[in-house]
Amino acid sequence: MNPIEAETKKVEGRDPATVRLKREYEAEVENKVASDYSHIVWAYGIIWALFAIYGVILWRRSVAQRADLDALTAKLAGK
Amino acid sequence: MRLLRQTWLLARNDLRQEARQLELVLTAGFFTLVVVVMFALAFFGLAADVQRKAIPGMVWLCVAFVGALTLTRVFDREREAATLAALLAAPVDRLAIYLAKLVVTLAILLLCSAIMVPGLGLLFPAAQVFAADPLALIVLMVLGCLGYAAIGTLFAAGLATSSGKNVLLSVILYPLTTPVLLFALVATQRLLDGHPELWNTLAQMAALDVVLVAVGAALFEAVLIGAANPGAPAQARAARAARFAAPPPAPPP
Amino acid sequence: MSKYVPYVLLAGAAALFPYCVQRVFLHTPIEAEMGTAQKIFYFHVPLAWICMLFAVVCGIAAGIQLSKRSERAEAVAVAAGEMTVLAGLGVLITGPIWGDATWGTPWTGDARQVSTALLWLVFVAYLLVRRYGPSNSERIAAALAIFGAIDVPIIYYAVKIWKTTHPQTGVVGSLPDSMWNTLWVCLLALMMLSVAFVWIRAGQERTASALDRAWIAAESPLPKPA
Repeated sequence: MNPIEAETKKVEGRDPATVRLKREYEAEVENKVASDYSHIVWAYGIIWALFAIYGVILWRRSVAQRADLDALTAKLAGK
Repeated sequence: MRLLRQTWLLARNDLRQEARQLELVLTAGFFTLVVVVMFALAFFGLAADVQRKAIPGMVWLCVAFVGALTLTRVFDREREAATLAALLAAPVDRLAIYLAKLVVTLAILLLCSAIMVPGLGLLFPAAQVFAADPLALIVLMVLGCLGYAAIGTLFAAGLATSSGKNVLLSVILYPLTTPVLLFALVATQRLLDGHPELWNTLAQMAALDVVLVAVGAALFEAVLIGAANPGAPAQARAARAARFAAPPPAPPP
Repeated sequence: MSKYVPYVLLAGAAALFPYCVQRVFLHTPIEAEMGTAQKIFYFHVPLAWICMLFAVVCGIAAGIQLSKRSERAEAVAVAAGEMTVLAGLGVLITGPIWGDATWGTPWTGDARQVSTALLWLVFVAYLLVRRYGPSNSERIAAALAIFGAIDVPIIYYAVKIWKTTHPQTGVVGSLPDSMWNTLWVCLLALMMLSVAFVWIRAGQERTASALDRAWIAAESPLPKPA
């Protein structure tokens, strides 16, 4: 045998067909993970936005009520 | 029993007035026909077995539409003549008012069902299975319409004020009547398929109807008191609206 | 002292949320069948529980409001009703997002989805009647809330026997411990947040009624006692 061949290791599974198949699987997984993450981000984002908007609504009502109370106090004081 | 007698008197009064002019019966009946024809138009092209699956939906959607229309009209007389307050002032058991209106609504709905079911049988061959078990069919329609009328009468009475914002009745009615309609859908499907558990479902519907009529009767007085006497809350709301519309007063120096 | 309760809850929820997110994404393993998209479930399910809980609370409060003419109960009912609509909206949006990610279909029409949608509609109607109803619609709205709270189990059962052919998507049944614990943590955070909001909102409603009465008294022409 060729002395160089004797020292090299035999490589398995590197034929072009298998490699292409493996790359396809990896691309599929990557697409799924990316799509999943985009769905997750949308879902969490929407939940957060809903609660934040409601919090803002409560805050604004609180401010308006405080102003109303001040107006009433002023009116009673001035009467 | 006094309650039954009062209920009968009130219901007979309403039905007699209706029989004189037939206004509600004719319009509701005609509307039923229109809906049936519209369903025929919409679903005629479907294959026979698919039509069969659509029939329960058609029946009960028709009931829902006719019911919403009927309910607003049943209380029209009270709204126009403001007789609701008068009824409440009279020494009549509140429950009798509720049951009387319920009976009238049920009568109209059953009349429309009598038009609708044969109509569907004519237009859709799949619906002819209805003729096979007429007892079950009648029981089914009575129970379904009763449950629908129980909820509808309560809220139509509550909304029977002079301002007549009837859009709200539809907004309330459709989501709330879905339990009854869902059970009715299951029962109708089982009737069409000849399912062995049909009478089981009908018994469940009867139990549901008992619950709905009981809750409706219990809440009727509370809701009606609100409808007949608009009072402090309305005043408060009007005052609040005026306050926020006008510019706030300047603070004292 | 008790007026600080909601703010303490809010602060607690705010502190807990980063921990929740960390647990969901870094600590809990990826579910074998659905992959990463299943992580939506850790907020979706608690929101659904909160929606149903506050629907029942609203119904009970409405019952007390009618039977005892209680203003406090009415305030709680309004606040609970709003939270039901809010949480329900969250459930109805994240559910289809999850469905789309996992099965490609946003709406499966199974019992849970339909009954949640109907529950949500009933309580939206509750809020609409309160705001746009004729002059004394508070009582009608209360009746609506009571019916709504009763209807929920009925609708769920009815849709279940209707759709018996649909495969049951039972996700919560058999979960490994790590996922259960993460679920409980997220539930705790969301509960603190929603209870705080309901508390604040109910307080605002009572303040509004008190202010109304005060304004009417201030503007009435009757002479005040010296």
